[in-house]
Amino acid sequence: MNHPLDDLTALLDGALPERRRAEVERHLAACPTCRAERDRLAAALSMLGALPAPPEPSPWFATRLEARLAEEPPPAPGLLSRLARWRWRLAVPATALAAAAAVTLLVVRQQRVDEETLARSLDLMENYEVVASLGDVESEEDAAVVASLHELVGKEGRP
Amino acid sequence: MAQDPDAALMVAFQRGDAAAFRALYERHARAMVAFCHRFVKDPARAEELAQDVFVKLHRSAGRYAPSARFKTFLYRVATNHCLNEVRRGEYAARQATPGASPDDRDGEAGAPDLDALPSSAASPHQALEAGRLEVAVTALLDRLPEKQRAAFVLCRFEGMSYEEIAETLETTVSAVKSLVHRATVAAAAALAPFGAPGAAGEETP
Repeated sequence: MNHPLDDLTALLDGALPERRRAEVERHLAACPTCRAERDRLAAALSMLGALPAPPEPSPWFATRLEARLAEEPPPAPGLLSRLARWRWRLAVPATALAAAAAVTLLVVRQQRVDEETLARSLDLMENYEVVASLGDVESEEDAAVVASLHELVGKEGRP
Repeated sequence: MAQDPDAALMVAFQRGDAAAFRALYERHARAMVAFCHRFVKDPARAEELAQDVFVKLHRSAGRYAPSARFKTFLYRVATNHCLNEVRRGEYAARQATPGASPDDRDGEAGAPDLDALPSSAASPHQALEAGRLEVAVTALLDRLPEKQRAAFVLCRFEGMSYEEIAETLETTVSAVKSLVHRATVAAAAALAPFGAPGAAGEETP
């Protein structure tokens, strides 16, 4: 086995997979060079523990931060709350689609076309992106929400 | 949804709860000031950087998804901010005419400020040793390439696992292993003069 020098830090950090750890330990037992290197690294790590404590936040930390935050605009709504807003707005085009589907239904009945056409129209309602593309996407932010709607379907259910 | 209390606070803040954000920074202010101090020497500057990090966090709250671990999200913002600060400092130092540095890169490679030494040290001798050690570690951190520096600080001072560091730095665990190892080898070389007799036997597995 070559000297496992590159694994010695990970060994000290307990970050080697079990099999590799066992191999390196076996090598160390037989190799004074690697043992010395391991000890040198371990000594450096233990010295870091002797460093002076880092500075504490000053007593004005919170006051100064609050003053800075007061200048900031309120938080941009998170994706979930933006979705909640969209959900309401989706209701309008969705209703329009439902009406369109109802009309289709009548036409389909009258023309006795295969019911598959109806099923396909109704599928549209299930497709967020199609529904959203019918409404006017006003901002980039909203466009981003629309683009990520499918990710949320699992978590949030459908409107 | 969010078992992590920080993630829950972040989500509450996204919904407009300002007190939740206050709770967040109260929980992490200490750690942030300490972390930023690994990148700049001046404690007042470290505090300003820590404040910047919270302001950035405040601004980017909308982008936080509760699926991401809050800790790695916070430290990613902090690491990027601190490394930018280091780059700015280096740029300013290169631009400055010798002897007329407009930027306060004070204390650089200087002697430790003995008045500022921690009272926690058991004796004046230990305090002096700790101060000299700190100067050596600071010089070491300044010499490290920035990714090594970030990985080393997250590992040695923030106690993060290689996995957490990989998530924070958006890289692989094997890359982190290599970064931490190279930085630790550099630390061993830099700190060898401070090796106390008997220290070599102390392993920290």
